[in-house]
Parts: sequence; C-alpha cells; structure tokens
Amino acid sequence: MKKLNQQQVSSRLFFLLTILSLFYLASCRVAFIPNYNATISKNIETTAKQVDKFYLTMLEKTTEEDGGRNYDKFTEEYVEIEVEINFILNQNKVRPLNKNSTRICEITLELWQKYKKEHKTDNTLSNGLIRLNRKSFSDLFYAMQVAEEGKKIAANPPQ
Amino acid sequence: MSFNIDAVVSDMASAIKDVTGSHWNKVKGTADQFLQNRKESLALIAELRITGELSEEKFKSRLQDEKLIAEAQLNALAVISKAIAQKAANAAIEVLEKAAKTALGSIL
Repeated sequence: MKKLNQQQVSSRLFFLLTILSLFYLASCRVAFIPNYNATISKNIETTAKQVDKFYLTMLEKTTEEDGGRNYDKFTEEYVEIEVEINFILNQNKVRPLNKNSTRICEITLELWQKYKKEHKTDNTLSNGLIRLNRKSFSDLFYAMQVAEEGKKIAANPPQ
Repeated sequence: MSFNIDAVVSDMASAIKDVTGSHWNKVKGTADQFLQNRKESLALIAELRITGELSEEKFKSRLQDEKLIAEAQLNALAVISKAIAQKAANAAIEVLEKAAKTALGSIL
C-alpha cells in the first residue's frame, strides 16, 4: 500500500473537515415561522362561529324599538367572547417567530373592545352596524385562520 | 368626505404585492379574496353613511378600522410568504445534505 506523505495527509484532513462542516450546516433547518398548531386553529374556528352567532342572533331576534338591543342584554356574551379572543392572543404570543399571527389577534381584540364600548355608549346597535361589525370580524377571523393554515405550507408544498 | 373604493382597493393591491414580493403569484388567490372582502366592507360603510346609520365621525372612525383590518390581512399574507421561503430554504439545505453525504462516502 502506498504510503501517504505529510502534505497528502493534510490535504485529505482538510477535505474531510470541509465535508464534515458541510454536513453540520446541512443538518440545520431554517425557521421563519412556528409550526402549524391544530389546537389554535380549532380555537379560532370556534370563536369565529361564536361571534357570528352573537351578531346573527342579535339581528334576527331583537329590534331597536323595544329596547331589545340595550347593552346590558349582551354584556355576558361580550365578556365570554373577549375572554376567548384574549386566550387566542396569549396562545399566539407565547410562540416564537409568531409576530404576524399575534398582530392579527391584537387588532381583533382592539376592534372587539372598541365596538363593545360603542354599543355601551349608544346603548343600542342598528341593523346596519350589526351587519358591518359581523363582516369586520368575519374578515379578521378569516385572516387569523389563513395565517395559521398557511404555516402548513412550510411542511408541505402548496397544492 | 368622499372616497373612491376602486382606487383604495387598487392601492391595497399594490401594498400586497410589495409585502409578498416574488411570492405574489402563489398568494394571489388569497390576496384577491382579501381585496374582495375589503371592497364589500367599504361599500357597506358608504351605504351606511348615505342612509345616515353612520355619522360623519363614525364614518371616519370605521375607515380607520378598515386600515387595521387590511393590516391584519397583510400579516396573514406575510405568514404565507415566510412559509414558502422556509420551505424553499430547507429544500436547498436538503440538496446540500445529500451532496455532503455523497462526498463523505467517497473519501471514507
């Protein structure tokens, strides 16, 4: 067997170290977003349905005329829904690399609190405003769900 | 206060293209849905202003809210763009990993 001189040994050692470095680099994985979370996705879906039911029921079963839309008739549901939105916000906040989903939840919570305050101040809500509020939250929960479902793309190619 | 819904939606489309960059084609379907949603909302806000259900003050306030909702939608599109970039980067790293394995096998 041919004996290797010192220069050949050094050269092979350098090549081996280079390959091992490449191996180490290749074993790393890039992450720009957190993994998809099915529990959060389910919570978004449930809360979105709760908000939709809240406004649809108000629209179908109450009227402004008889004081049927006085704020105190809806306080409990406002609180229940705010708790759920807050919960989704906190679930998103604690996940690293999740500032986009967190921001969507912050906006949703901000507008929920704003429209609750408006209802409290006016002590009623017109049919038109119910339609508008319902539409705004439908769009916000849809954005929230798109963001969560979008995280699946990182693991699977888009269809 | 007057505003042109089509001009607003067109400006929003430009903002979306800026945010999504080279991934525009892959997010176009979702972006179109978002833009359609905003168009419907702006039309409803205009209708409520005309019928008097929205005062001038509330009308302006709702337009500000529309900006926030559009911001939420841009954040959702940013997640899709990041997911596509992550998928592409990791696919490239996998190629590197295979090449390194092959090279290592040849010298051991």
